[in-house]
Amino acid sequence: MAATAQPTTDDVRARLSAVDDPELDESIVDLEYVHDLTIDGSEVLVTLVLPTAWCSPAFAWMMATGARDELEALPEVTTATVTLDDHMHAREINRGVNERLDFETVFEDAEDDIEAVRRTLAEKARVSRQYRAVDALLDAGLDAAQVVALTREDIDVEHGTDDALVYLADDAFAVCVPADPLADHLEKAVEVGLVREPTDRIFATVEEEPIEADDLAHEQRRARLTGATISGQGTICEGLDRARKLKGD
Amino acid sequence: MYRHEGSDVFVIDAHVHHWDASTENIIHEGGEQFIRCFHDYHTAFTPEERQWSIDEYRKYSAERMVEDLFRDGHDDMAVFQPTYLGEFYENGFNTIEDNADLAEEYEDRFVLNGRFDPREGEAGLQELERQKDEHDITGVKLYTAEWKGDSKGWRLDSEDSFEYLEKCAELGITNIHAHKGPTIRPLNRDAFDVRDVDDAATSFPELDFIVEHVGFPRFDDFAHIATQETNVYGGLAVVAPMALARPRKFGEIMGELLYWVGEDNILFGSDYALWEPEWVVEAVMEAELTEEQRDEYGLEFDLETKRKVMGENAAELYDIDIEEQKEKLADDAISAEFDLGDQYGGATAD
Repeated sequence: MAATAQPTTDDVRARLSAVDDPELDESIVDLEYVHDLTIDGSEVLVTLVLPTAWCSPAFAWMMATGARDELEALPEVTTATVTLDDHMHAREINRGVNERLDFETVFEDAEDDIEAVRRTLAEKARVSRQYRAVDALLDAGLDAAQVVALTREDIDVEHGTDDALVYLADDAFAVCVPADPLADHLEKAVEVGLVREPTDRIFATVEEEPIEADDLAHEQRRARLTGATISGQGTICEGLDRARKLKGD
Repeated sequence: MYRHEGSDVFVIDAHVHHWDASTENIIHEGGEQFIRCFHDYHTAFTPEERQWSIDEYRKYSAERMVEDLFRDGHDDMAVFQPTYLGEFYENGFNTIEDNADLAEEYEDRFVLNGRFDPREGEAGLQELERQKDEHDITGVKLYTAEWKGDSKGWRLDSEDSFEYLEKCAELGITNIHAHKGPTIRPLNRDAFDVRDVDDAATSFPELDFIVEHVGFPRFDDFAHIATQETNVYGGLAVVAPMALARPRKFGEIMGELLYWVGEDNILFGSDYALWEPEWVVEAVMEAELTEEQRDEYGLEFDLETKRKVMGENAAELYDIDIEEQKEKLADDAISAEFDLGDQYGGATAD
């Protein structure tokens, strides 16, 4: 690796796009949390501002460390410095993230294990994405029994393409389904460990049990509720963000 | 009364406050952060021309409150929900004694609720009895995320809390309003966890638990609990103002609530002075589910449902006979002052 190589802004933004607000399941780039970005040789400095100064410290921590780790995964980057601005715990978080401390070291009285929080939120995101993926499959004409039986190897999908191919009846034929809902779901299903092997089923109940065909409609209603929770909270955060901008502080 | 498509809708605003966040009353930076956070919520969901400045918002007069609720706000009755926050405010933010002045002056208009904090031990139990004796309360508002010394909150399903809930049952205080809601700096988010309501509601079937703000950001956890427990209700504060700014989102949340929680277990509340009921009541009454939402949820947010949400459900919980109440309101001091007697079938002021 040439020491003089410098990452491009596009590379950096692409990496940051992979970091989600864990509660809202949306990229910190799309949510406009990235307020400043400086690339200085192999060093990258990024400033994050969240919708409220009192956004959960655990969530702020996940986003700040996520940004740091994504940026440092770029071969041209030696150091990524993340600065969280205008947050009730900015000082603690900035020190912890940039000195590579543990959350529990920085927040001694935190009641929650941060990995447990991350896991809960990722699982909710998975369920809400599943709702959209299942909906797309049902719209494409699959029946409940076909949907619940799908495994990773039955699906040929890539982000950014229009359609995914879903193989049915022992690969006897394939159905075209919009790619994004399926790709989004698979990404999260892999992240939470629901899908590890090609033969793993890709859909599961909220409790991560296999879904019976007869229960799919009920399971979809539960998943829809999770989606409404995430998007409802998104509406509240967006409102607070707007309020803060209106007040100009 | 609110008039909708030619018929009357009796409005019980199940969540109002008369608070004091004046700088003289603030004794901890948490008090300043708390009112500023409220004001951010206010600004976020209030139409620009209806927004209050932070100074108006810190403290408002009893006269203004009465006008905002009953003259302009379409409320027929309102339920006071105290919020003490004694660590932040010298005389408390919004105590039962503050609210009692108005509640006693206009006794047919207000329901006065009390509060308890199980960390207060025996003295707290005696205080609860005092509230019952002096104010004949039938409900309490609980703030599980309230600070007290080193403690940053308490749980509704704790042993201490159960002792207080037993006392409530014994005294006939049956409406247990738990603030479970959006994060409010500087209170600890996890003390707003809604799951402790589950065990409490199962253990005390004779009590009703009203989860304020329908549990957001734990809306799904709340809905699951409310589906299983018939004595769990949802308070619409924070959600109701979305009816104006984000009607589609409001429709989606109402669809989920009606589907899981049911039309008999949802209560309207403006959360005054977070929001003025005038435009919030109008927005909720005008709200409709989209065609897509009606198909999706297989139900409607129709007039009959709105009547329940806006008043009948609260009347049931607080043992209010709406027809009898209208007779009382027809010639009470507020109807006389604002010339409202007509709508209750009473004589006009002139």
